[in-house]
Parts: sequence; C-alpha cells; structure tokens
Amino acid sequence: MDEFTHIPQLTLQLFGFNLVFNTETITMTWVVMGILIVFGFLATRKISFIPNPFQMVGELLVKAFYDLTRDALDEEMVKKYFPVICSLFMFVLLCNWIGAIPKLGEPTKDLNTPLSLGIMGFFIAHYSGIKTKGFKKYAAGYCEPIFFMAPLNIIGELAKVISISFRLYGNIVGGAIIIVVVSHLIYGLILPPVLVFFFGIFVGGIQAFVFTMLTLVYISLQVK
Amino acid sequence: MMDSITYISASSFIGAAMAMGLGAIGAALGLGYAAGRADESMSYRPEMSGQLLKNMLIGQAITETAAIFALVIAIILLFAEPASTSVLASWSAIGAGLSIGLSAIGSGVGAGLPAGAACVGMARQPDNKGKIFTTMLIGSAICQTPVIFGMVISFLLLFMDLSDIPLYPGWAAILGAGLATGLATIGSGIGNGLTSMEAVRGIARNPDTSSDTSRVMLIGMSVGQSTAIYGFLVSLLLVFTGLEPSTTLASSLKLIGAGLSSGFGGIGPGIGLGIVSAYAVKWVARRPEATGTLTRTMLVGMAVTESTAIYGLIVALLLVVVF
Repeated sequence: MDEFTHIPQLTLQLFGFNLVFNTETITMTWVVMGILIVFGFLATRKISFIPNPFQMVGELLVKAFYDLTRDALDEEMVKKYFPVICSLFMFVLLCNWIGAIPKLGEPTKDLNTPLSLGIMGFFIAHYSGIKTKGFKKYAAGYCEPIFFMAPLNIIGELAKVISISFRLYGNIVGGAIIIVVVSHLIYGLILPPVLVFFFGIFVGGIQAFVFTMLTLVYISLQVK
Repeated sequence: MMDSITYISASSFIGAAMAMGLGAIGAALGLGYAAGRADESMSYRPEMSGQLLKNMLIGQAITETAAIFALVIAIILLFAEPASTSVLASWSAIGAGLSIGLSAIGSGVGAGLPAGAACVGMARQPDNKGKIFTTMLIGSAICQTPVIFGMVISFLLLFMDLSDIPLYPGWAAILGAGLATGLATIGSGIGNGLTSMEAVRGIARNPDTSSDTSRVMLIGMSVGQSTAIYGFLVSLLLVFTGLEPSTTLASSLKLIGAGLSSGFGGIGPGIGLGIVSAYAVKWVARRPEATGTLTRTMLVGMAVTESTAIYGLIVALLLVVVF
C-alpha cells in the first residue's frame, strides 16, 4: 500500500522557508495542460464547414456548456463567464480521466488541486457578486435574514469551498484506492479494468460535471 | 498479561464483525425495497415481468455495493497482516470497522430507492425504459459516494504509518475518525437516495425534461453530500493533526467527542438536504420552465438546512484545535 502513503516531494530551501513541491502532481498537471493545448490547437487550426474529428468534439462541448451557462446567467454575462466554465470542465475531466492510463496518477488525487480550484471558484463568484451588485448590496446579503446571522453566513460561504473541493478529492482518491486494493487482492484481467472504467471514467466524468455546475451556480447565486 | 499482537488480532475480529454486521443493515433494507417495488410493478404489467426482473436485479446489484465494500474491509481485517505491531493498530482495526460499517447503512438504503422507483416507472411507461434505466444507474452510483468516503477512512486507518502517533490520546483520535465519517455519511446516503428516487419518478412521468431533471438531481445530490464531507474532513483532521502525548482523560475524550459531534450532527441535515432536493427535482420534472427559480431556491434552502451540520462541525473543530 506504499502508493498512498508515499508522496514524491521536492523540498527547496529559500530565504529560510521550506518550499515543498509535489512533483507527481505538478508533472501530471502540466501533462493535462499540454494535452488540452494540443487539443485546442487541433480543433481550431482548420475550421471548416465539414469539421474534422477534433473540431466536432470541440463544437459539441462548447455548445453544451454555452447552453448550460445561458440557463444559469444573464445573456450579457454568459460571454464573460462561459470560457472559464468550459475550460474548468475540460481541465477537471481530463485530470480525472488520465488516471485510467497505467503509471499516470490523477492530479485531483492530491488535495491541493481540488482545493485551489475551489478557492479560485470562490473568488470568481464573490468578485462577480461585488462587481454586479456593488459592495454595499453585496455586504447586505450577509445580514439576511437578520444582522446577527452574519458570522454564520460567512462560515456557510467558507463551508462551500470545503465541500466542493473535498467532494472531488474524496471521490477520486476513493476510486484510486479501491482499484489498487482489488488489483492487489486478485490478479485478474476483467475486474480491475471494469473498476477503472466505473471509478475513473464514469465517476470521474460525473464529478467533473458536478464541480463545474456547482461553480456556475455559486456564481449565479452571487450575481442574482 | 497480553502482548500487543494478541490485542491486535482480538480487535481485528471485533472490527470485522462490526464492519459486516453494521454494513448489512442498510443494503438489506434497500434490496428489500427494490424487490417489493418490482413486485408491485409486475402487477401493473405482468407481460413485462422478464424485463422488470432484469432491472430489479441490476438495481439490486448496485445497491449491494455498499455491503460488498464492508465485506472487503472485513476480509482484510480477518486475513491481512496488520501494518504495524503497536497497540494503536488494534484501535485502528476497530475504527476501520466502525467507519465502513456505519457508512454502508446510508448508501445501502439510499441506492435501493431509485432501483425500486425505476421498476415502477418502467411498468407505467414502457416506452421510456432507456432514460429511466440511465437515471437509475447514475442515481444509485452517486448514492455510493458516502460509503466511498467511509472506505477511504477505513483504508487510511488500516494502512497508515502509526509510529508518529502517541498511544495516548492517539487511540481516541483513531476511534473518533472512524465514528465521524461513519455516522456523518448515514444521513447523506439516505438523502441522496430520496433525491434520485424522485428524479427517476419524474423522468418516468415526463421524459422530455430528462436533461433538466438529471442536472438538478446531480447538483442536489452533490450538495446533499456536504454533511458527509464535513465528517470526512474531521476524520482527516483527527488523523493528521500533530497530537501532543498526554495521559489525561480529557485530552482523549475530546477527540472522541469531536467525532461524535460531527458524526451525529451530520445524520439529520443529510436526510433534510435530501428532502429539499427531492422536492426540487420533483417539480422541475413537472414544470421545467421554472428550473432556474427552483434550483436557486433549492440551494438557498439547502444552505439553511445545512446550518445545523455546520454547528456540529464548528464544535468538532473547537474540540480538536482550540481545547
């Protein structure tokens, strides 16, 4: 079970601080980003009426997420927030799916990745809330229904960050643990790939969608 | 005078018994519900009984996953070599058993509800079999998330490096970690089941709304898992926080108290969140044009429902960090 207790780390001493890098997470994040950049290049390089396969997939993704964003936000805000939502989905999805390839680990298996994405969503939501409603109305939102509920409302907002990031982390790490344990118990050809399909592809896909949709509805709760 | 090996094997037996004993409760209830509903559906449409039986068996197979996870942990506890020989390993066996056993209750009950609803829905609307079946699969699969959290904590307790943890109050932290995730996941498992049951019913009634209904179902179910996540967070905190060695009773019992506070505090809100999103999903399926308003109201209502779980989380954090 060394796979779970051992995290490859690189520690640098800088001005008396210890800078710790989780090497596997960083490498895999760059691999995911590289694949996405190549995909974006291939999908948009030769845009034609008869699409090539990459353009086809890209168009389907963009169309689906444009419609979802339009359902949640107003027309003029859709153009602004849609790129973030769509790229967030593609990034999380590929992060969850890349573990299906042997020897590669999901970046979302490290709590730092989901937590930083969750904090990013939190800041986007609150920044857009302040920008659209103005600071006074935004701050008044915390005093609902009565002013002494403000501390609880603030804790509730922070709890959203915790729940959104731990949900992704727990599901992905749980799937990875189950796959490794079953592969240790039985050296089979059938059951581990089925589990990889279920936990890696199916659960990973659903959790990527849920993460994106929750970020979107948290933004829409702030701006409306 | 017993040595630590004897303690570890004795408590592995107790842990395995608790894992499977508690873990059998929920799945059996869910299986029974699915089978009963399948019977009911066959009385509407006896000529479809073959298909309904097949759907019942697939739904029951997913429902049983929670109990199978408990069985895996029980077998590991019975047959695998313990990871360490310190007395703490005996407590981690009990904690792992409690965590998976208790968390299997909620997911077992929950996953059975959409399976039963799918049988009835198929019998009433045989043309929409495909959509009903897909929604049932997704719904019951997400109902397993709480038990996966319980399983992560069980494996963590069984295989983590115990050498850095002092025996006192480490035993209480390990027991508290098992209780926190185990208890907190009961409510959200059942709540998730309620939500996905209404989604299956709604899609059976009005299949045109399936994309809206399943989207609201996904959001509702995942927010409904928040209480389980708070228990999971407290468990991780209890296990990984640096503990000062101390032999006083208070320093140990406060850690068990943290587990109980976030664990019991999660049961009610978990079911309550499920009720909120069940009604939202039900009415999205009937009035898809109101999806935006219904989703927003659902999320605001869930934030208020969740506040009692947050009180439990705050008390747990105070007990671990401040006292």
